[in-house]
Amino acid sequence: MNNLLTIFIAMVIVNNIVLAKFLGLCPFFGVSKKLSNAFSMGIAVTLVMLIASVSTSVIYNYILAPYKVEFMKIVIYILVIASLVQIVELTIKRTNIILYNALGIYLPLITTNCAVLGIALINSAENYTILESMVGALGAGIGFTLVLIIMSGIREKLDLADCPKSMRGLPVAFLTAALLALAFVGFNGMV
Amino acid sequence: MNIGLIIIILSAIGIVCGILIFIVNRFLPGEPESLKKAEEILRHLPGANCGACGYPGCFAYARALAKDKNTFFTNTCATVLQEPGMLKDLEKILNIEVDPSKMNKKAVVKCCGNSSVIGNYSGIKTCNAAFKLLSGYKECPYGCLGLGDCAAVCPQNAIQIHSARGGNIAVIDPEKCTGCGLCVKACPGNLIKLVPSDTKIVFLCSYDSIKNIPGRKKCSRGCSHCMKCYKTCKYDAIVWNKGKGIPEFDSDKCTLCGACVEICPQDTLAELPKIISECKKEDKKENTSRNKLKNVHAAGLPGKSN
Repeated sequence: MNNLLTIFIAMVIVNNIVLAKFLGLCPFFGVSKKLSNAFSMGIAVTLVMLIASVSTSVIYNYILAPYKVEFMKIVIYILVIASLVQIVELTIKRTNIILYNALGIYLPLITTNCAVLGIALINSAENYTILESMVGALGAGIGFTLVLIIMSGIREKLDLADCPKSMRGLPVAFLTAALLALAFVGFNGMV
Repeated sequence: MNIGLIIIILSAIGIVCGILIFIVNRFLPGEPESLKKAEEILRHLPGANCGACGYPGCFAYARALAKDKNTFFTNTCATVLQEPGMLKDLEKILNIEVDPSKMNKKAVVKCCGNSSVIGNYSGIKTCNAAFKLLSGYKECPYGCLGLGDCAAVCPQNAIQIHSARGGNIAVIDPEKCTGCGLCVKACPGNLIKLVPSDTKIVFLCSYDSIKNIPGRKKCSRGCSHCMKCYKTCKYDAIVWNKGKGIPEFDSDKCTLCGACVEICPQDTLAELPKIISECKKEDKKENTSRNKLKNVHAAGLPGKSN
């Protein structure tokens, strides 16, 4: 139990997937313009990460590890994650139209996002069990959502700020991201 | 041996994934009927996701259209109206008939004034923020602030902030305007109005007698209620609105002779097609006349860097 809590907290803040591991930077800048979009994106990424890491750790623990073909994991993970996201999208589209409106456009975007693949690879590199990788993926997803929400809140205010013309928009967002990452360094050594 | 094993594992996982997708696709209930129709409608929409129709994106608009085709009349897609080919396709799918000449609209900024400035505003440089503070920094509360909230939302780049006319005033190019109405919503002072695109003469002032602000004291171009335009018109195209104290124009009777524009002592009227050139013409006049000092004052306004 203690071990699971450690993994969770480490994934949320200490080894934050965006600011410490620098994965998923594309949605971090692309979808952090508005708070509502950022929240939906975060939820979608968390969902996909959970599904992907459970399935990939099952495959790793019961197929790849026993036959000693771990070096195949990247190819197989991409295949599995892409088709699982496809299945989830189809299911949501056909059964729950409200959920599809909220998450539908984000799901295809993150099919082979590096953050999702990265979490699956980290789980197998650390030799996590299925339960541990589930908790790890949940933590990573929540950490991603947290950073996306913080960033979009800042960027909404930044739009109104009076900054030099050459810095407006993305440049000042990069600077903000750097300062945010510095702030998250403060958590280092906590776990 | 190892290579054979890899091939077997990889293809097995691939086949299992393929079969799973097939099963999901085959045995789940099909897409809801409305979604299918919406997707068909979506193919005939511009796909710019500008949001001018009032829905967040073309897909949401298509779904609203699929639910009720009369949505097209209440929330019209201005881009489709401009393109006869697209309009024809959409009419066929939705089974409606649209007369584009009656639906087309143009946005006009109802201000041409050079109202003087109360004080130096140095807050957030958007009209919305400036307007919340004492309804803007100009003496006339119905004066365009010229910080460009409307220009920022315009998908056609039809709005320019002209430093002409003695102040920073937004001017909309009727050639480029598609009448989408985004700027109407963006203007905090409600100065932008949609007019039918066959309008000939526009009245470029937003206050009236009901609002009880003597325009000519606040700004040298506000309507002075002299009724000269009404008296000049030979074609009965101008109706005087007694309650508001402003002229109203009947574009069916108007022959665009220009007599009212010529005679207006305050220069409040303009011909819609010439609104940009009028503005540029004004530029020269303002710079050479006694208003030069005023212009220098206006150039130091927020909106420019200081």
